[in-house]
Amino acid sequence: MTLFKSFRDGIGFDTLLIGFALLYLFAFAGLPLIYNVIISFQQVDVFSLGTLLHPSAGWDNYLAIFRDPLANMVFWNTVIFTVGSVAFQFTIGFAFALFFHQKFPGATWFRGLFLAAWVMPGLVVGVLWNWLLSGDFGVINHVLLTTGLIAEPIFWRSDIDVALYSVILANIWYGMPFNMILLSVGLAAIPDDLYEAAELDGATAWQKFWTITLPMMRATIGAVLALGTIFTLQQFDLFAAITSGGPAGSSTVAQYWSWQLSFREFDFGRGAVISVMMIIVVLAVSLVYVRSTRAETRL
Amino acid sequence: MRSDWHNRILFLIALVLAAIYLFPLYWMYVTSLKTGSAIFAVPPEILPTDPQWGTYGEVWATTNIPRYLWNSMLIATGVTAVTAILGAGAAYVLARYRNVWIDVALFTVLMLQVLPPSLMVTPIFVGFATIGLLDFPRTAAVLAIAAKTMPFFVILCRATFMTIPRELEEAALVDGNSRAGAFFFIVLPLARNGILVAALLIFMQGFGEYVYSASLIADNRLQPASIGMTNFLQPNVVNWNAIMAFAATYVTPILAAFVLLQRQIVNGLTSGALK
Repeated sequence: MTLFKSFRDGIGFDTLLIGFALLYLFAFAGLPLIYNVIISFQQVDVFSLGTLLHPSAGWDNYLAIFRDPLANMVFWNTVIFTVGSVAFQFTIGFAFALFFHQKFPGATWFRGLFLAAWVMPGLVVGVLWNWLLSGDFGVINHVLLTTGLIAEPIFWRSDIDVALYSVILANIWYGMPFNMILLSVGLAAIPDDLYEAAELDGATAWQKFWTITLPMMRATIGAVLALGTIFTLQQFDLFAAITSGGPAGSSTVAQYWSWQLSFREFDFGRGAVISVMMIIVVLAVSLVYVRSTRAETRL
Repeated sequence: MRSDWHNRILFLIALVLAAIYLFPLYWMYVTSLKTGSAIFAVPPEILPTDPQWGTYGEVWATTNIPRYLWNSMLIATGVTAVTAILGAGAAYVLARYRNVWIDVALFTVLMLQVLPPSLMVTPIFVGFATIGLLDFPRTAAVLAIAAKTMPFFVILCRATFMTIPRELEEAALVDGNSRAGAFFFIVLPLARNGILVAALLIFMQGFGEYVYSASLIADNRLQPASIGMTNFLQPNVVNWNAIMAFAATYVTPILAAFVLLQRQIVNGLTSGALK
């Protein structure tokens, strides 16, 4: 009965509480991570899918991916999508955070309102932007045409040169509010007397921003950039709803390609290859995130 | 009164910014109320001249939306239940202790938070197919999604548990409670609000989830509303009013919950995400 007593009233209780969760995560996240590496060296298609042992493929899947004519484009698309999304989400989010940091009536409420975009399901956001960006009847083309910014309608979703940027546009809209909220938290944590002291010394707003705001926000900025990158590398729904990776793969990024190989071409081995490589990238980025949150709050 | 004017101008700018930013949501509702020809009018009507409320009824009757929403509801409920029941206890332990093992566990949880679903779904699908879990598609989706939402939930709830004074729990122990008793009757009720907000966020995620559902649930009758939306999206679609009515029906409950609980959601997010 001592074991039971420990579960009810001792260290066993804590072990039990955290044990179930960790066991669950091990089963449904840890094991798939390992299994992923295994199937990237196997030949897994519709025929061998349900069997326990899949035929071995050696390095064939990896070679097939590296030799794939799409690979180069997908790599650069992923870089452009990630850098473009994160850069604009962050700068616009920072600008908004600074604006709402001025204390006027309703500032907090307005700032929170922007998160309405962020709580939406990604797929619905994608469908909304699909309609906004429609070539002939889209309201965005209409605004650009009437203001004279463009002379011809842009076919956002079907033009090979533009398709990726239409998804970036939607992703900036979708992710900006979260950046803004996190940066607001960082701004609020800067003590006011620093600014007061700088004002006494006659510093301009610009000088205060560069010598106080930015240095004090270093840890927050690191965390937000890392989180933005992580979320952008997770983005899938917008591609599914706006371009489906097309036309001709021109808006395909790695996380979408991996899914396409597995669930459209039913070549799970090659899908796993991209998955393995991308997960390594994501984990590397999250190391930066974990480190910067630690530096800030000492977990 | 210079500062008064100053405030009014800032307020006005904020209003304009919010209006521009949330225009896509407005456009969803407006488009859903237009006639089939008015959606293609040039220039587009900013206000619907002849609101077609009937579109909602038609979409409700003809697109299986009740079934889709029911499946979304089931999946979201399952995900929230699994996440909250397993996650709350873990978050509590991670908040109470500080040692090497806790650090390792916390690090693991933080790292698992970042795995992209569209990459994890390949090994999960193959694994589930091998052990036969795909015969229960919605359960399979719930299990996979919960593994994704749990780390986020644990991080948010841990921040809540850290705000609860240890002394309250110790007092309960002195009064003769067991550890389990103190946890269930003292700590959990005190952390209730934080847990509820985190659970609401998880519910929203489960309600809108797409990748796992689209990959693991092949049977149309078991699919959630996110997949129902993609069924509309054929090339050269013309019935945008119906699509937007579907979208509006789908997201209005989420947006309503958000507007009502805006302050709590924002507070919950900011306390967890950076700590």
